[in-house]
Amino acid sequence: MSEVGEVHDLDPEVFEREVRTFDHWFGAVQDYLSDLEHGHRADIASEELAADEVDRLTTALCNYAVAETAALEASSGLVRLAPNHASKIFLATQAVDEARHVEVILQRLEDIGVEDPAAEIERRANPAVREFKNRLLYLVDSNQWDLAIFAQNVSLEAMEFSAFRAHATVGDPVTCDMLERMLRDERRHLGFGENEIARCLRTDPSRGAQIASVKNELESLAINTFEYTAKELEVESDTITKLGRDYRDAVERLGL
Amino acid sequence: MTNFLDAYSIQYWLESCPQGYLEQTEFGHEAGQKEPDALLSDPLLREQAIRVTCQLVSGERAALAASSGLINAAPDEASKRFLATQTLDEARHVEIFTQRLYDLGVKKDELESVLADKTNPNLAQFAEILLEKVDKKDFVSGVVGQNIVLEGMAFTVFEMLEASNKALNPKFAKILSGTIADERRHVGFGENRIGALISQHPEKKPEVEAMQRDMSYFMLATFADQFRNPEMREEIKASREKAGEEQQASWQGAKLGDMEPEELENLLADTVLGEFKQRLSRVGIDYQTPARP
Amino acid sequence: MSGSSHAAAEAGDSPGKIKETKPRRRYELDDRGFDEVPRKYRKYYRKWEGPDDELAPNEALCPVCKIVMRSVRELRDGDQLYCMACMTRVRIVSGENGRLETRVTY
Repeated sequence: MSEVGEVHDLDPEVFEREVRTFDHWFGAVQDYLSDLEHGHRADIASEELAADEVDRLTTALCNYAVAETAALEASSGLVRLAPNHASKIFLATQAVDEARHVEVILQRLEDIGVEDPAAEIERRANPAVREFKNRLLYLVDSNQWDLAIFAQNVSLEAMEFSAFRAHATVGDPVTCDMLERMLRDERRHLGFGENEIARCLRTDPSRGAQIASVKNELESLAINTFEYTAKELEVESDTITKLGRDYRDAVERLGL
Repeated sequence: MTNFLDAYSIQYWLESCPQGYLEQTEFGHEAGQKEPDALLSDPLLREQAIRVTCQLVSGERAALAASSGLINAAPDEASKRFLATQTLDEARHVEIFTQRLYDLGVKKDELESVLADKTNPNLAQFAEILLEKVDKKDFVSGVVGQNIVLEGMAFTVFEMLEASNKALNPKFAKILSGTIADERRHVGFGENRIGALISQHPEKKPEVEAMQRDMSYFMLATFADQFRNPEMREEIKASREKAGEEQQASWQGAKLGDMEPEELENLLADTVLGEFKQRLSRVGIDYQTPARP
Repeated sequence: MSGSSHAAAEAGDSPGKIKETKPRRRYELDDRGFDEVPRKYRKYYRKWEGPDDELAPNEALCPVCKIVMRSVRELRDGDQLYCMACMTRVRIVSGENGRLETRVTY
């Protein structure tokens, strides 16, 4: 591997270009996704879960599955709307990240004994996350790039980021390892979203009002989903409050 | 269907690409590999290399738009996930071929104008037919257009280019060998998935067949423009002089170095169309012979 | 937790190329096992261990993704850092009480 000078001395344009490449994504994931079995380390012993733990975990995973499927469909739809090729390539890497998340969540459901994950998701998914998915896909289908990026890469990703971290404080080792690897992907998605929205606002400040209106429309759905899942998992309430703050911090940084 | 799609999972993709044949590569080639000096120093060869690479970038951009657009139209979760890996494969192809343009001396701020200037209009029309189906969320037509017609064409073109560059330009040949490995999965998915869908939706056949005929015509027109271009004759002559006898490439049993441009065009066109015919008949679609430009 | 391994202090060579009067301490970075960026960049980052994790003078926390960014130099007001984990550009600013803080540069 070639040596580099101080990374922080890179020219901003070089940095922007590099982090949105396939090569960067490839270098970033190649170690933490190596030698896994269904998204987690193969050598982690599976804990015997009590019936009520299986029930709570099933509900949480069903909600994650809806959120991740929404992100898969939205990020792939956004490839065509992206204003430049670097963003198209980034969104293609995001689409495959989201597809991996859907796959490992469905596999985890099967591993804990859910025979028909699709039916279980249908039965257990919270109405708030379903509604979020519908509204996000509507924004993509109506070609609203900045609004859809806000909904997906700021609102939805921040909600998932908080939910997975909350879950990781109480989950079984296999689920925690799987979620922890998903969180590594989410960092890229969150960063892209926040930077892209800021770029859109700088280019056209008049979009701020519309983005703020999407924020108002969607944030209660995102927060409800996060809180519902966290409470279902019996996460401590101060942890829920603390993690929910990340989303508000991001919105505040953007001045929305 | 479920079993077949299991082999197209993200897990499988991760094991075969990032942890397989793409490991230790930079922009699709081994670290340190460069375009040969003989190519960079010869304006004619360089110009032709840029022209060919522009077609590859434009074709891959269409494939990126189509595969990402098809995810939402896919009728099942496993196909969505496979198409996500394909989307990323196509994005990688856009990136590595774009990087090749930079390596050949195209300036970053001139990229779009060079592509607009050199992309063959017939190739643009070929892509347009496909993207129209994708826009309508027509999954069956979209997968045939993308994974059988477009990918089938790319697969064969890349194979021919790889064979002819192996000795002369190992860097470009290495890039192509990685893309060929990707295309294998894509055509495999297209055939396997569409076979089941066509038997469920026989009413789609006439529309799909018309699309195949139209796309094939524009593909042949692209080949014709490329091979009948007078500069191509000069370029072939120049590259043969540089390669020498002992480095002559062969492909499909033919010695490429002995062939005239029109013979090369026919070999490529016949190989691609022959492949289409076989693949389409396996999935229950009647191949339509396109007009020859 | 201590942030970085250390090397000797040197006369200042700021990233902004402006000659500084007070020399900056320099650091030799080691790989802390942060595997979310390409290998060649790994030594510039480490995981944050939470509020009790004390940052070294060459370290700053990315406000977007909560990863510790590390530099070969002691950080000062006006420095620019990149978080390669979430693709964010950050500037170091002097906050209240002179404490160094981070601001996202979009």
